Amino acid sequence: MLALVKSEWRKLLFVRANWGLLIAATFISALSVAVAPFILDAGEAGALLGLGIDQTAAIDATYANGISGYIFAIILGIMMMAGEFRHGTAVATFLTAPRRGIVLTAKLAVAAIGGLLMMLISTGISLIAGYVVLLGFEDAAQPSENLFVNTMIAAAISGAVLGVIGVAIGTLIRNQMLAIVGALVYLFVVDPLLLALWPDTGQFLPSGLITAMLSIDISAPELGFDTTDYLPALTATLVLLGYGAVFAFIAIATSLRRDID
Amino acid sequence: MSAIRFDSLVKQYGKQAAVNNLSATIQAGRITGFLGPNGAGKSTSLRCLVGLAKPTSGSAKILDRDYRELENPLTQVGTVLDSRGFHPSLSGRKNLQIVAASAGISDSRVDEVLELVELTQAAKKRMKNYSLGMKQRLSLAGAILGNPQILILDEPANGLDPAGIAWLRKFLRAMADQGKTILVSSHQLAEMQNTVDDVIIINRGQLIASGSIKDVIGEGTLEDAFLRLTEGAN
Ligand SMILES: Nc1ncnc2c1ncn2[C@@H]1O[C@H](COP(=O)(O)OP(=O)(O)OP(=O)(O)O)[C@@H](O)[C@H]1O
Ligand SMILES: [Mg+2]
Repeated sequence: MLALVKSEWRKLLFVRANWGLLIAATFISALSVAVAPFILDAGEAGALLGLGIDQTAAIDATYANGISGYIFAIILGIMMMAGEFRHGTAVATFLTAPRRGIVLTAKLAVAAIGGLLMMLISTGISLIAGYVVLLGFEDAAQPSENLFVNTMIAAAISGAVLGVIGVAIGTLIRNQMLAIVGALVYLFVVDPLLLALWPDTGQFLPSGLITAMLSIDISAPELGFDTTDYLPALTATLVLLGYGAVFAFIAIATSLRRDID
Repeated sequence: MSAIRFDSLVKQYGKQAAVNNLSATIQAGRITGFLGPNGAGKSTSLRCLVGLAKPTSGSAKILDRDYRELENPLTQVGTVLDSRGFHPSLSGRKNLQIVAASAGISDSRVDEVLELVELTQAAKKRMKNYSLGMKQRLSLAGAILGNPQILILDEPANGLDPAGIAWLRKFLRAMADQGKTILVSSHQLAEMQNTVDDVIIINRGQLIASGSIKDVIGEGTLEDAFLRLTEGAN
């Protein structure tokens, strides 16, 4: 088992595309943190939300953008698994370790670590970027007391959970492109649509859960998005992990039994 | 003693039986050629043997066990299939290091096998930039990584130039001299005639002939016998 984890870890580090994902996640989240103060300061957008840069809530909302890279944690997980089928490395993987369930377990563990690290790095850099940018705004308020710590915790947990879910998706949908596009379309199109149609069930849908999970202790209704209806962060994390477990279970019971070519 | 045994193996794809009731034994310590026309079912049989494809019925066993039940299989069985399990954008060395890690094999052994297949020069090159022959050598390096007693090779000569084929012949001989069991499929019949001890010939998923090369050939060459046997079955 430890040997398999080591092997998965090497795959994670050796494949350059994974580093590309880390860079993309960092870039996107740092950018969204860095531009937020300018939008708030421009007046109109800020006024629309009833927020100004001199309010703590606005600063909190700015820093909260630091977790925007989470989608890349799912993509990382998908690529770790579906990539094996895409490049045919699944053959070598399962020749070396023919007990597929154990391979999947090792992969899930490494995906959790990978997603966690990716989110810690991208969020950490984003918070620093936000701090630096805000130095340029003299009337900027201070963030609330535990904001940085809570944001980093939310980043770590969400990264680990989403990495796991990515692997589970990649196991079920072996076509990497289809799996990634499917995940994105689901998260950004289907899920919001379902949410609009049946608002009551929204809190149990993945996007709602992810938002709830990300908002560990930093959500406040006055931020402009109303997360009061969402599940508590811990519950949301558990429900999301539940989804991941169900996916992984279905994957082991179905997809992983299929022939590998 | 039998190292590998196919027992009434059937592998069905839809209505088509790629392997149809194949029974055969491969003796330990010998080189066995696995022959048959294109589409005869050789690769499919070997995939069933190493647990990548699930038999529809019957079984294919190594050392009387399913591949999946082997303890650290890489140290017992080395495999080269027609699809290579390597990542195109990683170097040959990194590809092998990934495999080595999961089998608990050291990185120094990786460099050793790269040397053995004469790939040291290209070890740091990305696999997708390898020539066909270099890819084949990398696959062979992967197969001997765990220094296994049994080698299962699906068309290892594929894409090799004359020098490469001569090299492969020497390589197989050396492996056989170490007492290893080798099951090798190939279309290079003249080459096989000089290399193998036993042959198994299949056609349309069914066993046509098996035994020592002398018994199967009778008079003439392996090619004569092959053509006669496979035509007769059509
Ligand atoms: N995954 C698959 N799905 C459907 N049919 C398959 C699959 N794999 C193999 N077949 C079919 O099974 C038959 C046997 O194929 P196989 O690859 O085992 O032949 P082979 O003896 O290795 O041939 P070759 O000498 O060309 O490599 C062929 O008719 C092939 O089309
Ligand atoms: Mg074949």
